[in-house]
Amino acid sequence: MSSFLITLAGVVLVTIFGIVAGLFLMGVDRIFAARMQMRQGPPLIQPFIDIRKLLCKDSVVPENAVPTLFNAAPIVAFASAVTVLFYLPLGSILPVGTPLPMVGEYGDLILIMYLLTVPALAMVAGGFASGSPYASVGAQREMVTMIAYEFPLAIAIIAIAWRLAVAGIAMPFSVNTLAANPIWTVAGPLGIIGCILLLIVLIWVTPAELSRVPCDTPEAETELCGGLLVEYSGRNLALFSLSMAAKLVAMAGLSVLLFLPWNLSPLIGLTGIGAAGVDLVFFLLKVIVVMFFSVSLVRVIMARFRINTLVSIYWGWLTTIGLIGMLLIILDGTISIGGCL
Amino acid sequence: MIESFTLTTGFGAWNALFWVIAFVIAFIIGWLIWLRGEKVYDTSKGSTAPFLSGIAEPDKKEVHIRAGNLYWGYNDALSGYYKFVKPFHTGNLSDYFLAYLLVTAIVLIVVVVLK
Repeated sequence: MSSFLITLAGVVLVTIFGIVAGLFLMGVDRIFAARMQMRQGPPLIQPFIDIRKLLCKDSVVPENAVPTLFNAAPIVAFASAVTVLFYLPLGSILPVGTPLPMVGEYGDLILIMYLLTVPALAMVAGGFASGSPYASVGAQREMVTMIAYEFPLAIAIIAIAWRLAVAGIAMPFSVNTLAANPIWTVAGPLGIIGCILLLIVLIWVTPAELSRVPCDTPEAETELCGGLLVEYSGRNLALFSLSMAAKLVAMAGLSVLLFLPWNLSPLIGLTGIGAAGVDLVFFLLKVIVVMFFSVSLVRVIMARFRINTLVSIYWGWLTTIGLIGMLLIILDGTISIGGCL
Repeated sequence: MIESFTLTTGFGAWNALFWVIAFVIAFIIGWLIWLRGEKVYDTSKGSTAPFLSGIAEPDKKEVHIRAGNLYWGYNDALSGYYKFVKPFHTGNLSDYFLAYLLVTAIVLIVVVVLK
């Protein structure tokens, strides 16, 4: 029973961490973007202020909307985005449930990949439930965007797990396995080139997952006035903002897990709570670096893709790059076990 | 207790019960935040009408997205592919069977070469 309570406490703590870290990252992202555009930018706590402000604003339910679905969608989006974080290691703090004695893992990379789609599906449901033409077009675009980025993301995840399996590592889809066995230390020269290509793919999948420029076609303020969020205001919009914040941590955390899983504490000889604290700060630094290259930099230097261009790029270019990366990893794995094609 | 519901495949693991419990807790936290927000809103001055940049709302039939247009961006981006594969869909079962045999033969050749 005590292990169950500790697990529940872990769930609550990770939820709070997801909210705080996500809003903090959004603040950092806005400062990065402002500095690159030679602007002062908002204070770091601006996203927190925005959420507080939204909670004080009217939360209008449009007359055409399906009220139950319209109100439930933001809460489901928030809950599902936060749930992804329960399966990711935060520095040396392993996923919820893992550190407890006699407790196995609760989820793997395949599950994370599926869970990442749930917040987007909740947004689609909310968009269609809005009863607005703009929101309907936005929801339709969100669905197409999801189809576009899922395939390259799956290629990246499966290729890395396959290489670990070929190296004789058990449970290759396990997040703890990935955290303990960085792919760079397992792969040979060809595999490393393949991993670099997959890293590029994942960096480009991140803005699509987060609906950020240049993949913000579902919201597209200048065309659709906010798209699937056009009718949302007040507390409902606050919950959607929180879900996007948590998803930002989840996506950047996934990139860190796959490509930068190292911790600082073993290098400086720390153990216990001190090590967990240092590694958590180091994890946040890595997340900020990933966010800078995959979100902040991209959204400052690029304009929005058209929805058909987005599909062409993700199903054409990124899938091809991902498949080349996967092929190199397969070659690397085959050579490592002494096989030939 | 939760651990006994974990399905381990040898490649990964997942526990449906944990996901349900965690999702419910996260949902409750989200719902509590949602409850702290403003509950009442002004229904006068057309605030509940759909936002269409000041344009009067057209008839619902005119703005309804038909199922055929739902994946427009996807269909348009892959139009070259569809243009290529559509002629093969003749409706003749013999053609489909021939295509099946052809693909099976290619797969078998690839498998043999790889071996």
